Amino acid sequence: CGEYQKVLKSAEPGEKYALAEKLYNEAQAENSKSKYRKALRLFEQIVPQYRGKPQGEKLTFLFANTYYQLGDHYLAGYQFERFTQSYPNSERIEEAAFKSAKSYYELSPRYDLDQTETVKAIDELQKYIVTYPEGENIQEANQLATELRVKLEKKAYEIAKQYHHTENYKSAIVAFTNFINEYPGSPFREAAFYHRFDSAYQLAINSYQYLQKERLTEAQGFYNNYIRFYSEGSPYYNQIQASNLDLETRLQNF
Amino acid sequence: KKYTIGKIEVTGMVSYNEQTVVAFTGLKPGEEIFIPGDRLSKVLKKLWDLNLFSDINFYITNVEGDVADLELEITEVPELAEIRLQGVKKKSAREELIKENNLTPGVKVTENLITTTKNYIENKYRKDGFFNSKVAINTIPVEDTTGINKVNMVVNVDQGEKVKISEIAFTGNEMFSDARLRRAMSKTKEKNFFRVWKRSKFIADEYEADKEKIINKYKEKGYRDARIVSDTLIRKDAETIALQIKLEEGRKHYIGNIDFIGNTVYTDQMLSMALGISKGDVYNGVLLKERIADPGNPDAQDLSNLYKNNGYLFSQINPVETRVYNDTIDFEIRIIEGKEAYFNNISVVGNDKTKDHVIYRELRTQPGQKYSQQNVIRTLRELGQLGFFDAEQISPDFQNVDPNSGTLDMQYSVVEAGASQIELQGGYGGGGFIGTLGLSFNNFSLSGIFDKEAYKPLPMGDGQTLSLRAQASIFYQTYSLSFIEPWLGGKRRVSLSTSFSYTRQFFFDQIRRRADRSRSFDILGVNVGLAKRLRWPDDYFTLSQAVGFQRYDLNNYQTGLFTFPDGYSNNLTYTLGLSRDSRGINPIFPTYGSEFAITAKFTPPYSLWNGVDYPNLDQQREFQREDANGNLINAQGFRLRPGEEPIGDQGKIDQEKFKWLEFYKVKFKGSWFTTLKNFGGNSNLVLRPSVELGFLGAYNNERGIPPFERFFLGGDGLGAFSLDGRETVALRGYPNQSVVPLDRTSISRETNQDGAVIYNKYSLELRFPITLKPMASIYALAFMEGGASYDNFRDFNPFQLNRSAGAGLRIFMPQFGLLGIDFGYGFDPVPGSVGPNGWETHFIIGQQF
Repeated sequence: CGEYQKVLKSAEPGEKYALAEKLYNEAQAENSKSKYRKALRLFEQIVPQYRGKPQGEKLTFLFANTYYQLGDHYLAGYQFERFTQSYPNSERIEEAAFKSAKSYYELSPRYDLDQTETVKAIDELQKYIVTYPEGENIQEANQLATELRVKLEKKAYEIAKQYHHTENYKSAIVAFTNFINEYPGSPFREAAFYHRFDSAYQLAINSYQYLQKERLTEAQGFYNNYIRFYSEGSPYYNQIQASNLDLETRLQNF
Repeated sequence: KKYTIGKIEVTGMVSYNEQTVVAFTGLKPGEEIFIPGDRLSKVLKKLWDLNLFSDINFYITNVEGDVADLELEITEVPELAEIRLQGVKKKSAREELIKENNLTPGVKVTENLITTTKNYIENKYRKDGFFNSKVAINTIPVEDTTGINKVNMVVNVDQGEKVKISEIAFTGNEMFSDARLRRAMSKTKEKNFFRVWKRSKFIADEYEADKEKIINKYKEKGYRDARIVSDTLIRKDAETIALQIKLEEGRKHYIGNIDFIGNTVYTDQMLSMALGISKGDVYNGVLLKERIADPGNPDAQDLSNLYKNNGYLFSQINPVETRVYNDTIDFEIRIIEGKEAYFNNISVVGNDKTKDHVIYRELRTQPGQKYSQQNVIRTLRELGQLGFFDAEQISPDFQNVDPNSGTLDMQYSVVEAGASQIELQGGYGGGGFIGTLGLSFNNFSLSGIFDKEAYKPLPMGDGQTLSLRAQASIFYQTYSLSFIEPWLGGKRRVSLSTSFSYTRQFFFDQIRRRADRSRSFDILGVNVGLAKRLRWPDDYFTLSQAVGFQRYDLNNYQTGLFTFPDGYSNNLTYTLGLSRDSRGINPIFPTYGSEFAITAKFTPPYSLWNGVDYPNLDQQREFQREDANGNLINAQGFRLRPGEEPIGDQGKIDQEKFKWLEFYKVKFKGSWFTTLKNFGGNSNLVLRPSVELGFLGAYNNERGIPPFERFFLGGDGLGAFSLDGRETVALRGYPNQSVVPLDRTSISRETNQDGAVIYNKYSLELRFPITLKPMASIYALAFMEGGASYDNFRDFNPFQLNRSAGAGLRIFMPQFGLLGIDFGYGFDPVPGSVGPNGWETHFIIGQQF
């Protein structure tokens, strides 16, 4: 460790470069976080000095990858992005582009928090997918992008569902309609169709008599929408049939 | 044409390596490029973006067939070596200037830097009244051993003399005197020996604003044509200037007919009511503008808000003068109502801790609702009041506003603020060291406590409150834990609150000054409550229920509460409350509406079934006084002699009575808010009458009313540290807890230290706002009130009151809550004195009155 401290304090970038690379290789072989951390401290010192020099390319990559290995996705994403911008002709460009995107993926928080990072990650993954359709990580990239898109869909769905849950049925109808238009391929689509119907149905049966007919008819329209896409065996099929039966009985009063 | 790059040469650089520059451009010998072409201009832009060069040129030096040699000529911007500031005496001021202009060594000295620095410093001095300040900047190239292009910078500051205004002279003014016009100028003042708080200085921007103020002053009084014909600045000497302002007043105008055009939603009558300006009024241009739209006050009840709060986002209102004859002006108020707008998509961004459902349930704007500016503003306020976000940085973002379809999306952006508090204190008091540790997590997530991922560093984001508090000194310890879920089930505002507390107090030996750990008094308390906002009869009602349990455990410990040193007492209660709160608009300063609350708290009626003969306890052997050997004794402590009656042991009797406390308590509170007079905008003079009653009773009179849970009247009403569940009721003009029942005498059962079982209180308060800004709301109040307490219904006399009157001030700031001070004069005596009680000062923290 004495040697490490000496090199850390020395003014000679070459020495640091050599030691950092050695530590990095060892860390990679042993999968040792502490060695990555040691290497990182050296990288931090020398990366600015080598910027624009021939060794800069390799160094920047190792630097970014060290962050990546240490799980500091925020900086890894940034450094990899910087790498792809500075060295567009690098051999490892595909890996860097993927790791940059994946870093943003890792930063994406749970669905019910702010999704700025998720949108950014989808962008980056999409860029990767378009640029390297034959890339090594294309499968994973597609999978991650899908996962994030579903996350955004879940967010929108849950928000709409909350309007339903808090009995703000009019708002729920608008929100579910927006959801259905915006995310045609979503796994929550059927549930959205069902809850839109249920919102309209609940709104209708809890209305004044003189409003009921119009609202029941609206609900019936949403039922027909559901039935057009889903048939027996769908998770919400039995529930919606039961409600619709009641709805039709009620409509006979008018 | 397409070329292959042969050689690349870089000239003109001094401090950079040629290789570095070439590597930076990304051009490589052998690469094929178009000249002229996109590639080269990109390289140029990249180089310019560095801000390191003052000139960049590409040349083709040699062309052989398809091979072109390139030369890149760059001129480096010099670096700053040393900075010298002359003419500024104070070192700190010099350093400040250097810092503000970022003049650190190594900075690139561009023309831009020199100009901005010069302007910055000159303006800075002008703002302080140095009207004649001059700045000159020289750069001197330096020879450096490293060969890097460097310059020294010399900044000569001549701040000049501070300029004062010796005279502001007006000509052409008849309506207003010179002095009044000078007063209208709020920043530009004549020099005057006596005016110490605002010094005379001349600042051009402020002078312009003040000229505007003079014109507005005229406009307010009907002189709509008033203008400044000319103004002259005369330099008297180095230190003084004079201002001469020539005015043309024009004549005074009055409002003629006001016609509304284009209104379909509101009738002319409604609009002219809302406008509040009618024919014959003096023409007040400023007021007219404000009544139509007041940008300074989003809550104002002006015409444009009338439309904007009811869906007409796209409405436009323009007053147009249609006819001017003699001194009268006719108006047309032209209204373009536009389409009604509805919210479509509502979103929130920036919440990286607080979960969506916590925020969305607070939003007052929902998809499909009609647009209302008021609801947007209310949402912003209420999000701010949650305390999870920085209230200053919450902003609404109108998106996809579409006047054709009449829809808009709204995005609220929030910035998370630290919502948790840690309190850690130590102090010396009450005979020893007292340490307190308090943790309060205001945005806790109970569901996250088993989720490893959620710990960053604690599970957050469900809007729940968890607080823990421990306090200990050598003779007492107290621990408490409470948890609040404001929306149980997420469907409606049903708040669940639970709390647990434990206090242990040791006997404090005054002589040896240490705690005697063998003698103690423990109190254990558990409380669970539910409060639910009702929908029927209307949604202002809240129904609350709570179950509470307290256990008092005495271990050879004498307190004033109990007559026995060893024993226990349990208090199991159920509280039912119904309240209605329709106060509006501003919760801090309501101008209308009312607030009522009725609560009933009761214990199970044990005496109905436990078969204890309470009035005759002293007749029973087990409740009679006895000595250590179990022999009955008399009042003097001797063995009972024949013929003597055994006497009851008060301690034992009380223990039997207080085993399980038995009582019921009913309280009523009501207050009304009425606006007496509106002085425009939010300035309302508000009257608030209020009534309060409370009654504590026993199911079984034989068993009696326990000494717990009683009412203590008087003073600021702030909860004092107490063990007995007492209720302190504010009554200004009297010392704290001093208003005891009048019928008590030195021989009655209750002393002046005991609480009362009945009280009533009436008060009348006048309030007037000083400012109602979101940052701080201040209002003044004057009050008259009276209250009294009684030991039983026989003595109850609702008109026999301890009266008082006085005035005070309240300040509400979101960070501190409500603070206030009241001065009250008590007209009646407090026990133990004669004559009026006189003046009392009360400090108020939190909402008490």
